[in-house]
Amino acid sequence: MNPQYKKGVLELCVLSLLRKGDRYGYEISEYLSQRIDIADGTVYPLLRKLKADGLVTTYLQEESGGPPRKYYKLTQLGEDVYTMDRAEYLRFAGAVRELLKEDDEHEEN
Amino acid sequence: MKKTEFMDRLAQELHKKNIADAEEILQEYEEHFAMKMADGYIEEEIAARLGNPAALAAQFDEAEDAPKQKTGSRPLVVAGLSIADVFAALFFLLLAGFGIVLAAAALAFAAAAVCLLGGVSIQGLLPAMPYWCGAILALSLAALAVLFAVGCVYYASFLRQMMRSFGRFQHNALAGTSGETVLPPLPISPQFSAKAKRRLRTAALVSLALFAACFVLSYIVCALTAGSLEFWHAWGWFGN
Repeated sequence: MNPQYKKGVLELCVLSLLRKGDRYGYEISEYLSQRIDIADGTVYPLLRKLKADGLVTTYLQEESGGPPRKYYKLTQLGEDVYTMDRAEYLRFAGAVRELLKEDDEHEEN
Repeated sequence: MKKTEFMDRLAQELHKKNIADAEEILQEYEEHFAMKMADGYIEEEIAARLGNPAALAAQFDEAEDAPKQKTGSRPLVVAGLSIADVFAALFFLLLAGFGIVLAAAALAFAAAAVCLLGGVSIQGLLPAMPYWCGAILALSLAALAVLFAVGCVYYASFLRQMMRSFGRFQHNALAGTSGETVLPPLPISPQFSAKAKRRLRTAALVSLALFAACFVLSYIVCALTAGSLEFWHAWGWFGN
């Protein structure tokens, strides 16, 4: 798949995860790499881009027996962007699915 | 690749690309290694699944570029713009003054035409001439008034567009300093709908033709009536 395109969809997945609650980097990386075939390391640049765009913020939280962890939190802007992009993606994906289905039917005939 | 090798190469690549907060980024990869190793993975496998350090650094580089780049410091831009504003205001004032002159000329031509047609000469401002000569001259003046009025509309639109364009430039200069969205620049040329443009052009061409024709005709009629090519002397316009 086109990496540029994949990146956009991955951003959407990260925003979706963060909507359910704040997560630290490793959690997000695990969540994505278990479901989608990407290099584990690519999540961190992606998180940084989301932060630079103002869609997420970070804060440090002390953990018992270890250095403080960097948590990622969705901002209001992130929430708005997620709602918009999600609807757009679902519309787009739905349309593509329909198109490909037509293709199937065409080949069967 | 061992953990230390991966981290060293990532640090090297990040510094080569001049990425800010490289320490913070490295910290996150350190943590990733720590967590994975706690889960029982070996260093080589973790490093392999993380990906190529150079490719990762390139992705961080892209993430840096992605946010709208801030250009210049805000106070400096504000100061520069305020100085530019003073000159722009003077410039616009001058241009507006010319617009007023154009409008006044159009009004004056129209007033002269009305007076000639009505046969009134306010305080003897209009030179004496037979009514029909004056009527034809009035037509040419009326056409000239229309021509000037069209010019006025064009000019006003041009001036307005120029001010809007300057406003947009100012907005964008300020937006650039705070990383806001920069809007597309506006054109300076007057923006009319195709219909309005056609009408204005027709009005300009017709009035120009009418002015030229009536002006020449009025000269011929005057010269014939006065029996002299220099009819203004025959009628004593400038004193005998």
